[in-house]
Amino acid sequence: MRRLWTVLVLIAVLLFCLGPVLWILSTSLKSPGLVSRRPPSLLPDLYWDSYRMVLQERGFLRSMGNSLLVSSVTTLFTVAIGVLAAYPLSRMSGRWRGPALGLVLAASMFPQVSIAGAVYRMLMSLGLLNTFPGLILPYTGLMLPLAIWMLTSFFRRLPPELEEAAVMDGCGPWTTVWRVFAPVAAPAVLTTAILVFIYAWNEFFFALLIMTNPVMQTVPVAIAKFPGQYRVPWSELSAAAIVAVLPLVAMVLLLQRRIVSGLSSGTTR
Amino acid sequence: MAACVFLSSCGGESRDDGVTRISVLTWRPNSPATWQEAIDRFHERNPDVEVILETGPSSSTQLHDMLSQRLRNRDTSVDVFVMDVVWPPEFAEVGWALPLDGSFPEEERELFFDGCVEAVTWKGSVYGVPFFLDAGVLFCRSDLLEKYGLPVPETWGQLVAAADSVLKGEDDPALYGYSAQMAQYEGLICNMLELTGSAGGSLMEPESPEALRALRFARDSLVHLDGMTPPGILTYREQESLELFASGGAVFHRNWPYAWALCADPEMSQVAGKVVISILPRFPEGESVSALGGWSFGVSAYSAHPDEAFRFISFMTSEEVQRLFAAEVGKPPARRSLYADSLVLAANPHFQEMEAVFENAVPRPGSPLYPQVSNRLQGFLHSAIGESEGSIPAMAEEAGRDIREILDRLEE
Amino acid sequence: MGIIMMAPAVLFLCGFLVFPVLSTMVNSLYRDSPLTGREFCGLDNYRRLAGDGQALDTMEFTFIFVMASVSLEMAAGVLIALAINRVVTGRGFFRASVILPWAVPTVVAAIMWKYIFNDQYGIVNYLLHGDSLRMYSAWLARPSTARLAIILADVWKSSSFVALIALAGLQTVPEELMEAARMDGAGPSRRFFRITLPLIRPALLVALLFRVMDAFRVFDLVYVMTQGAPSGKTGVLQFFGYLKMFPEQQYGYGSAVAVVVFLIIAVLSVILVRTLGRRMMTE
Repeated sequence: MRRLWTVLVLIAVLLFCLGPVLWILSTSLKSPGLVSRRPPSLLPDLYWDSYRMVLQERGFLRSMGNSLLVSSVTTLFTVAIGVLAAYPLSRMSGRWRGPALGLVLAASMFPQVSIAGAVYRMLMSLGLLNTFPGLILPYTGLMLPLAIWMLTSFFRRLPPELEEAAVMDGCGPWTTVWRVFAPVAAPAVLTTAILVFIYAWNEFFFALLIMTNPVMQTVPVAIAKFPGQYRVPWSELSAAAIVAVLPLVAMVLLLQRRIVSGLSSGTTR
Repeated sequence: MAACVFLSSCGGESRDDGVTRISVLTWRPNSPATWQEAIDRFHERNPDVEVILETGPSSSTQLHDMLSQRLRNRDTSVDVFVMDVVWPPEFAEVGWALPLDGSFPEEERELFFDGCVEAVTWKGSVYGVPFFLDAGVLFCRSDLLEKYGLPVPETWGQLVAAADSVLKGEDDPALYGYSAQMAQYEGLICNMLELTGSAGGSLMEPESPEALRALRFARDSLVHLDGMTPPGILTYREQESLELFASGGAVFHRNWPYAWALCADPEMSQVAGKVVISILPRFPEGESVSALGGWSFGVSAYSAHPDEAFRFISFMTSEEVQRLFAAEVGKPPARRSLYADSLVLAANPHFQEMEAVFENAVPRPGSPLYPQVSNRLQGFLHSAIGESEGSIPAMAEEAGRDIREILDRLEE
Repeated sequence: MGIIMMAPAVLFLCGFLVFPVLSTMVNSLYRDSPLTGREFCGLDNYRRLAGDGQALDTMEFTFIFVMASVSLEMAAGVLIALAINRVVTGRGFFRASVILPWAVPTVVAAIMWKYIFNDQYGIVNYLLHGDSLRMYSAWLARPSTARLAIILADVWKSSSFVALIALAGLQTVPEELMEAARMDGAGPSRRFFRITLPLIRPALLVALLFRVMDAFRVFDLVYVMTQGAPSGKTGVLQFFGYLKMFPEQQYGYGSAVAVVVFLIIAVLSVILVRTLGRRMMTE
């Protein structure tokens, strides 16, 4: 009886999580005639041209490349800077750490609208609009609070003896962080990196504002601008959506265990 | 790694090779090949200028957001931009678009439709050169009208009655009477301007009896009349409404002339060869009204190369290029002469009878504060026709007051 | 030394968050549009905001959205986590499936749900009404159903975030404790409320905090799915601020909206942290 319930709930969970994606997958494989059929058909007729169109004609691969570059460099910056800041924070006395972390947390909840105008003007005066740094720098700023917060809560649970031993061995603080701390903290660092990467890959508001040149567009903007002037190309749009999600799905499949264990060390207790 | 990223910034100022680069901002073209063809021809004749085409969003409102954001920050990286028919007053008043009185003289302007020239004129100066124009037209399923012996409707009442007979006769749950653009966006204003205007009213005075009549008709006889319009009509823009019509889902369809080419293409449409195009219906005591749409080119006030920029504009608006766009993409030219052009008419036989419609198309109100007026109007119109129980006169009074208040703010 | 190590972080936070917010706050005290120029107007923008009917509608839906979506997400997330935690075979597959919605870009999710709720080709209509096309309804056209659709899209995407964190929390529940409780004859619901819930509470508080803050900043969903239609009934604050600041060019007024969003989030999260999660900061 209890087993039955568990199975039912699991099926419901799978339907809920995967159903919409499967529907889009099915739409992406429909021919134009079938897409506009009413009532809709659940199964596709395995028409692959939409994928060919997306990959060949629309400069979509270029957007994928842009997104990949922006997201990985953002992740690199954010994690490096985050590790540096999280270490001293985690070793602060409790009295100071509370407010300091509170401030960091406060910074992570700024609505994008409230900073968009000023960031735009800043980037423009630096000549960074429509450049990769123009997106990487604000992303790093936006993602740092969360990274610092997660890393600090993890570092805090590393025993002080670890660094005491390092100091005894004559390591300076930099060496301590990079040689002693970071390796032990690898799972947490990796989890943080994944979170930052996903955020950067998905971000829309700033990408829309800053990357106006289609050559520089990232994937979400490319998809949002996809609808042609005169018709809604549903199957091509679905194909593009599937292609855009693939790298993340691959990453999630490979790293799902790490994500959960990293989160469990970073957010509980 | 980081260094190489920082160096790879993009976008070019003039390099030292005697070639001036001008950047042109346009919406994402539906016909990139035609644009490329035009630009190639320009390069051929102007080897000292290189055009860099930057494409923005395809929606007019989104393009306006992007462009105005850049211009208010005095962005020098745009030299030429396209302007929707409602933008010039704002761009002129704020000083974003250069006045072109000298380079686009009176005698040249006379070759274009008056409505197009008026649209780029603000306080006595011109700020753009018209590229193509648009005007709302009615598409009808000729096969269905013929089958039931119905004429092309001349009044809105006839349209509803004709649709009703066809729907009753066909008894097809996938068929609706009328498909148009009634989502909350700029296109709703055009649709309602036509309805209101053909009842003898004006959108600027939504509380007038004529305007109320048109609103009530749209609500009770189009949107909420069972089967007359698809349930999603309140979310339809051009794309969705055309999709429905082209897949054989509607008897009548209001759209811009571009839809003709798509409806006639058997690859895209299931109604190819079964469509006639006509002027929009009217109310019995009014005249048929089409909303004026269309685009012009303007030169940015912050451009470092205004002369080269204008050279490009005058090429793009020349007979040659307007003919190209009319023949290949079905854009109605802004120049009068092309309506007697054999190449244009071969591709668009309906242009000949449509010339009068284009000539008389009614512009939306010109104001530098149009974006605000438009947002307020969109919200009002959408609620008025969308809520079957709401009190239209009360909503109209409030909207009218708000609009006048916005316009008054400008006077201060 | 610690200060030097924190310097890059501080620099970034000040440059891209603190300075821009301060400049927005200053801007909210000006009447600033390209047409009228820029002049100081004190708190006029805020007074105007308090009397703006569309702003109040927007505020109403924002609160409904946050409350409905966050509470549904917390419930669904915990349920999903409990179910997945029971799985013995194919754990990796289940975990990956649960993470998937969260990895889908919001823009993509929004387009997806827009299509799912489509009035002609949408699968929701098909599942509800099958071939009776005349029964199909336009979910995104009416205020009540459009609101529901937006909330559902958010629940789909973000429940998995809660589930992930709850799942992480569940890893810390010692099996011996559950075994002991089972021996004592405690039923499943009793075990959940007495043992599991208290143990994963800190993790859930983190999830709650992040979800509330994030839900208040919703933008992409509304931008893609409804643009606030019908007449602002599905508008949210961040979208309203964007509308005033960019398309309508009312820079000062838009800044005032942005500041209000910011303040609401700040006050809420202070309350949340104070009443629920003080421990997670200092402990």
